[in-house]
Formats: sequence, structure tokens, C-alpha cells
Amino acid sequence: MSATPNGTLANGNGAASGYKWHKKYPHLGTGTVPADVFTSQEQFELERERIFKKVWLNVGRVERIPNPGDYFVQDLAVCNTSVIVVRGKDGAVRAFHNMCSHRGNKIAWNQGGTCQNFTCKFHGWSYGLDGKLKFVPDEESFFDLKKETLGMTPVAVGVWEGFIFINVDPNPTETLQEYLGDLATGLEGYPFGEFSTTGTSWTSEVNANWKVIKDAFQEVYHIAFLHKRSIPDSFTSKDNPYAHSLDVTLYPRHGSMSLFGSADYKPSPVAKLAAQHGEIVIRSDFSMDGLPAGVNPLRSEAWSLDLNVIFPAFFVDVSQGSYFTHQFMPIGVDKTLWTSTQYYTKATTPGRRFSQEYGNVIFRDIIMEDGRTFEETQSMLLSGAKKEFYLHDEEILVRHSHHVIDQMIKGQPVDRAFAANGGEAAAHA
Amino acid sequence: MPEAHLPEQFRDLEQWMAWSLETEVERSDHRQASAMEDITAFYEAMLARTEEVLSYLEQFNLEDLPDDARRLFYLTLSLAEVAPAVEQFGQPSVVDGYDIKRFVSSNR
Repeated sequence: MSATPNGTLANGNGAASGYKWHKKYPHLGTGTVPADVFTSQEQFELERERIFKKVWLNVGRVERIPNPGDYFVQDLAVCNTSVIVVRGKDGAVRAFHNMCSHRGNKIAWNQGGTCQNFTCKFHGWSYGLDGKLKFVPDEESFFDLKKETLGMTPVAVGVWEGFIFINVDPNPTETLQEYLGDLATGLEGYPFGEFSTTGTSWTSEVNANWKVIKDAFQEVYHIAFLHKRSIPDSFTSKDNPYAHSLDVTLYPRHGSMSLFGSADYKPSPVAKLAAQHGEIVIRSDFSMDGLPAGVNPLRSEAWSLDLNVIFPAFFVDVSQGSYFTHQFMPIGVDKTLWTSTQYYTKATTPGRRFSQEYGNVIFRDIIMEDGRTFEETQSMLLSGAKKEFYLHDEEILVRHSHHVIDQMIKGQPVDRAFAANGGEAAAHA
Repeated sequence: MPEAHLPEQFRDLEQWMAWSLETEVERSDHRQASAMEDITAFYEAMLARTEEVLSYLEQFNLEDLPDDARRLFYLTLSLAEVAPAVEQFGQPSVVDGYDIKRFVSSNR
């Protein structure tokens, strides 16, 4: 255990911890998280109806469907649907429930492709890229069929910085831009498009509640322990042994955390080779030139990367030279589709590609360390042995997330005042 | 196997051709299936030559590597793949890690 002489833990700025984030966001309190929020079917059904069916959900990036007719299918068990996301002849991205108007069959059974029409395999009803019903075999034998009213059912779609979001609420109460709010504004101008031509994804169906997974990725208190082999000295240092973060910004639903990076980091032989040829996350010679104000918001020289948690279950974690995303799509109360993707600018030289491959492998192996905790945790939750869990001051994003979920499933408006006044004492106003 | 040569000055690395694999999944599978002593031997042989290899490869654009250079390039990607096994874990798989067989890569 390391501690400063006065017995308090040091943080990234060398100052005593002093419940820094609690003082910034006192409205979240200091309470515990009930254990049953991870196992309760009733809670999960409320999350389904009041969160996932109401908010904007990321389903991918525009690079996946560059040309008219390109489409992909996103199964959304949590919203009780499957959605087709397609680029139309006019270049616009549209989304539809993947369901035939005739008798309800799922139209696209594959994961994606390119087409001129969507034709139902059951009876051959055919829809245009704009969702309109174009052709019904033996139409004359139907009774009063009004084809113009029988298109695929549209799903609201929005694109922010190349990220495609859908909202299955037939009448979304806010636009994607309104939903993403100030978090999005701070990141606009980051070279998402340039980096996104090459992405490597890893995906797994995990036997754990989506919040178990989400929470593991929205705090770094675990780094010194769970990642002691993979990244023993990247995010921690003698003065900051517990990876205290540089900054935290909470929005009404989303949250960001700016992470410390250690100047004492000693690259391994292959990390050193990789750094000579391209991007690795921790480096001392990074430049903030051209990066938007929301990235490394303190402009700290002891910076590594920022976590940006877009509610409910999508992370856009940005660094210099690369970014990565996590997405946790619930399938059931104890089953979640976990997808993580690492993005770099397209390599044109072998050396740069080697460097990126090293970055990919390191990233993959680190998140496999995280991944092990998901099912190990879930496997114990049903024991009932623990009724509540305790959060550290640095686990403020976890605290905030549970607070927002709790408000939403109770049908309460989410707190907003704290975000408007920069996080100061809203609860005491 | 005349079709599987490396560029002239790197012929000594041809003993490691089993690591010359195109995709992350192939490289990862090979790492997981290999004994640690074999991984370490490959790592040491490649680490000693990779600067030289990458300097040689810099004359080419990534998109149009000649076949022998491409085989050599894949060896560097396998060095990236095995690096954590040697430098961090001391075993082929991630210590206390998630099951890689259930962690599906898009780079296949």
C-alpha cells in the first residue's frame, strides 16, 4: 500500500484526494448500490421500457454503409426488435423495424450487405431502400390493400460525428443532438472519421448483467490490481498509485473522466518498437494541436485518455492517435452482447501497421482481463450474500450511472441543475 | 518450398514461417496453441531483427508488398501478438483472462 506521509492518498495532481468528486457532485450522495439491480427481472423490464426503448442507442458507424443500398442489421433484444439500417439512393441513412407488413416475418435474416430492395423470404413482399412497399406478389387476391400505408415501420435515426444512433420510441422526446448535449459538443472536431476507416472489433455474448460490464469500464480504481501484469505503470505512478483521475465531468445522463498517464511508464521492448513506428496510448510527446476542448479538458501533460460514457451503454474513449468504443447491448437480465472496437488512422506503411497491431493486441488482452470479472461477479450476485455494494470517490461515474437509471425507471425527471452550474452543490440549492 | 521464401537477407528467419499468418485470429490461435518456450524463442529471434525488418519494409507501400516481403511483414505482426505473452503474462494466454475462444475478432 502506498500513501503520502499524512496518510491520505495522492491523486494525479499530487493533492490529497479529499473526496474530490463527491464535493463536485454532492447531489449523488455517498450511498451504496443495491445488489439486486443486477439480477432483478423486474428492474430489467423497467430498464427495457423506460430507458432502452426511450433513448438514443448507438448501432454502428457510417463507414459500415458507405454506398446507397448498403445496409446492416442490428438485433436489439432489449428493445424487442431487430432494426435494418440502410443508406438510401439519396445518401441518407434510414432505419426500419426488420419486419414484414404482411404477417410479421423478419425480413433480413443476415447481418448486412448491399441490395436494391428488401424482399421478404416468406411471401416475396418487396420494399425499397426508403422502406416503401413496392411489390406484392398476386396483389389482386388481397382485399383493399393500401400499399402506400404498408411500408416497413421507420425507426428514428440520427448521425453524430459518423456514429449512427437509433431510437425505437415512435415519437422521441428529444433529438440526438439534444440527447448527446454538451458531451458531444466538446468532442466535435476529433478526427473520428479519419480514424474510423480501420477498426478492429471484439465481441462476446457474456453471461452478466449489462451494468456489471458497464461499471467495470467506467472506473480505473481497478487498474493497479486487475491490470497489474498488463499495464503496471501506465496509469499509476509513485505519486498516484491508485490511478486517480485528472478530471470528471457529469452531464444529466452521460459522464466523462479524464485519465492520468504516467511519465514514469517504462515501455517493454516491443512497446518501444511500436512507439517508434506509430501510435501507442501512453506517450510523453503527444500534441494537443487540433484536438477539441473536450479532449484532455485540463490540457494536462500527465494525460493518457478520456472515458466518455454515453448513456446508457456506449463508450467513446479518446486518446491522441486512436480511440476505442465499448458497447453493451442487453439480451436479458443476465446476458449481454459486449463489443469493443479499437480505431486508428489508416496505416499506409508496414511499420505503422505493426505499431497498430501491437496496440490492438495490448488492448484486446487488457480488456480480456476486465472481461474475466463479468461472469465471476454475476455468478455470485444471485447468492444473496451481499445486499449492497460500496463505491469509492473515484467510482463517481458508476454512482452517477446508477443514480440516472434509478431516476428513469422510477419515472422521475433526471437531475439537470448540477450540470448547468458546473456541478456545484445542486442538491443543496 | 520455393514459394514461401523470405527476402534474401532475412532467410535466417524462415525457420519461423509457421508464424507468418495473415489474420489476428490465426496469429492468436497460434499463440494460444504454442508452448511458451517456442513463443519465447520466436519472440527473441524477431525482437533482434524487427528494426531491420521494418526498415527494409519501409521501401514498400503497405498495399503492394511483394509476396516475400508480405510474409516477412506477417512475422512482425506475430511479434506484436506474442509480446504480451512474453513481456506481461509469462504464459500464452492472458493470466486470469476472459476465454479468448468466446472473444470474436473482426480481423479473421
